[in-house]
Amino acid sequence: MTADQRFDATATTTCGYCGVGCKLEAHSRGARIVSISPATDGPANKGHACLKGRFAHQFSHSRERLTTPLIREGGTLRSATWEEAIGRIGAEFGRIRSDYGADAIAGLASARATNEECYAMQRVFRAGIGTHNIDCCSRVCHTPTSFGFRKALGLSGATGSFNDIEAAEVLLIIGANPTDAHPVVGARMKQAALNGTKLITVDPREIELADYGVLHCGPRPGTNVAFVNGLAHVMIRDRLTDLAFIAERTEGFDAVADLVANYAPHEVERITGVPAADIERAAHLYGEAERASIAWGLGVTEHRHGSDTVRMICNLALMTGKIGRVGCALLPLRGQNNVQGSSDMGALPDTFTAYRSVGDEATAQMFEERWGVTMSRERGLKMPEMLDAAIDGKVKAMWICGYDIAHSDPNIAHVANALDSLDFLVVQELFENETTKFADVVLPAAAFLEKSGTFTNAERRIQLVTAAADPPGAAKTDLEIYQMVSSAMGHELPWETAEDVMKEVAEMTPEFAGVTYERLGRSGLQWPVAPDGRDSPILYTDHFELPGGKAQFAALPYKPPGDEADADFPLILVTGRRLEHYNVGTMTRRTGNLELLPSDWLELHPDDAEANGIADGALVEVRGRQGSIEITARITDRIEPGHVFTGFHFPEVRVNLLVGPSADLDTGCPEYKVIAVAVSSVVRGGAKARPGRATVAARPTGSG
Amino acid sequence: MEVFVDGESVEVEPGATALIATRLAGRTVATLCFDDRTAAFGACRVCLVAIEGAKAPVASCATPCREGMKISTRDERANRIAANVVELVLSELPSPPAPHTELAQVAEQLGIGQPRWTGATHPVDHDVSHPYLVLQRELCISCGRCVRVCDEVQGAFALTATGRGFNSTIAAGLNSGFAASTCVSCGACADTCPTDAITESFLFDIADQAGQGE
Repeated sequence: MTADQRFDATATTTCGYCGVGCKLEAHSRGARIVSISPATDGPANKGHACLKGRFAHQFSHSRERLTTPLIREGGTLRSATWEEAIGRIGAEFGRIRSDYGADAIAGLASARATNEECYAMQRVFRAGIGTHNIDCCSRVCHTPTSFGFRKALGLSGATGSFNDIEAAEVLLIIGANPTDAHPVVGARMKQAALNGTKLITVDPREIELADYGVLHCGPRPGTNVAFVNGLAHVMIRDRLTDLAFIAERTEGFDAVADLVANYAPHEVERITGVPAADIERAAHLYGEAERASIAWGLGVTEHRHGSDTVRMICNLALMTGKIGRVGCALLPLRGQNNVQGSSDMGALPDTFTAYRSVGDEATAQMFEERWGVTMSRERGLKMPEMLDAAIDGKVKAMWICGYDIAHSDPNIAHVANALDSLDFLVVQELFENETTKFADVVLPAAAFLEKSGTFTNAERRIQLVTAAADPPGAAKTDLEIYQMVSSAMGHELPWETAEDVMKEVAEMTPEFAGVTYERLGRSGLQWPVAPDGRDSPILYTDHFELPGGKAQFAALPYKPPGDEADADFPLILVTGRRLEHYNVGTMTRRTGNLELLPSDWLELHPDDAEANGIADGALVEVRGRQGSIEITARITDRIEPGHVFTGFHFPEVRVNLLVGPSADLDTGCPEYKVIAVAVSSVVRGGAKARPGRATVAARPTGSG
Repeated sequence: MEVFVDGESVEVEPGATALIATRLAGRTVATLCFDDRTAAFGACRVCLVAIEGAKAPVASCATPCREGMKISTRDERANRIAANVVELVLSELPSPPAPHTELAQVAEQLGIGQPRWTGATHPVDHDVSHPYLVLQRELCISCGRCVRVCDEVQGAFALTATGRGFNSTIAAGLNSGFAASTCVSCGACADTCPTDAITESFLFDIADQAGQGE
């Protein structure tokens, strides 16, 4: 390609939206990004991109960007210098640490930040402040996947790669809507289907990919364990299992066989609502294929028994020997650009890098020696525990980075109460948001287009991120901020560049031993990376990373979800992502994507609309056990009767007011997907649905 | 299997096209309707090569290799036809293609300056109704690349070829514009378009400021 004279510079970087990890070319004129195009050689995106990664970049030069630190004074936030802001943080953290101990301070790292930044933040907390109270937003999405994988297989990451999508004869997609939430992988799945891969979709909504599949199943929310156990029942009954694989490479199969004997298809139909014949058919499609993969999203994990479902999904792959080879992958679709990496880097209260326990003596000593500190062997607080401890007065200060918990967390009235209870709150952000309303100090951070480092995508691929523009005003990268705060706390972070951080990670982490920026190059590396630089597109080709090298089956029965429909709240609300927007919408709502989708709506089945007297387009009240919201209704037969659905991108909707405290029993991941509600029309003189809040500057219409 | 490009032996996979063979041999045969992410289309007749034993030049993108096939990228007749095709395409445009476009680069590669033919050119006709995608119908050369990536890369099936002869162009949905079609705004059409007939609004604005085509 010849140099393009329209641009002053082009930087090859990695997308900062979802976990697909598209390689992008960011083109700039002067200091500003003017266009982004997909890199033709991107291993995950193969020259493709979506409307978020390639178009939704205007947020980066929005006038609403934070360009200077802010300090709360007399109830309002005022501009401050970095010196003043860091001084204030150092003084407050220092005071709270000496009065109440280091465990009175807690931090949330951002799954949007780079690996290097997440590593730096957990080091600030562990070594600079002296507590393991560090967590990140993987807590509220895929911790059940991580937990289940580590118990069943050993490592916390997809067992294969996106390339296994095209290599599979059958692809089972559970609790995910890839064409909206992970559009480039969604497009790859759709193309695979058009080229002959048989898709089985499992979701309470008839997702777009269902149109291209051979079978769609709509289990009642919260019944995934029963559904998957039903598949296992049929596979064992009809001898679709790989007995040699089970004998050589696994342990615990007999208990599973005993358990799932109770999950005959007609019984599973009773629990899940999925016709017995469809359960039979799904099991045969998956079981009879030579190569089959399973992909899932938060429809599996954000449940009271999310971790159990992940274990049961692993059972399916293990009993049929569909793991550790081409076309046979278990692919959790990670929601955020670096939610895999933030966890890998140890931004979790119980683990150092690569999921090594803080209680593991050898590992702890190694880090103590490197950092020149002593650390507790007890884990720190998980995010929901931090909030409870704030209300109880045990946590006095928090530092929240790139994570709008007052919008995105469940039970947001409880979150607000917790943030209100703190003595001191630091929020590090691109924009003022729901959480900064509670902050004592707000620090302006650089966006992904303005920093360098690495992200790790949903297929464990570590990819380079390269700055394509400068941060606005006095904003700084998270890494620079961590270094300043750590110094103020008396612990120098000894790095000049992000690359220096990765060198420390590689030295301290066997799975990253061979990672260098030079080797990452344009296509990245999938961890584990051996010292000689060989990476791992497919895990478990000959052994599992568990004692004896054997995978572990789990025999876990179906248990009901934390919430259920009843006479007062007869419908089940499920929340999820829309194509045009990304999570809390901080970025996408400040771009032309808002023009494409200006507001959200509630999807409702025609039967439920009729029963509740709701017309298409009517403003409705959605009441739950926790609170109520108002939203416009849209009637669609693509959702199962008894269910309603909405996105969570618009703060004015405040859908998380409805989400209660129910959470995954193993990991604390909130149950966003099963919320009992009642829906009724709002009668108000001439009331109309509220339009979307922000607007985007009009583009001049061009002429030739 | 073994084939020969300009006399040089090249090993290709079964099913490879003559175009792939020329690339393996390090030749740069010009293409216009070709995008390697989509199935061969063979519409534009720019990637013509001579095959020993064939009566006339063939479109290399749509010609499978055969064992021992002898491909020439230096055939005078093939190159002359390809250049004439591109010159005719250029002659329909109201202004020369912007330098960064694939069409401009192909024209340069084939040594074509101002087209010798005068006559009707497409009238300027812009659809700017979508926040990100702009359709400049006067620049459409009906290569079909946008339609094919929309189908074969994204799977949105939002674009279609429409009209006949001089009036042939592409349309989103039932000619209702991108916003009202099944378009998912992925931008693959703008990426593949060799003329900027579909471009993104940010770049359209830049071109506007720069006085494109002057």
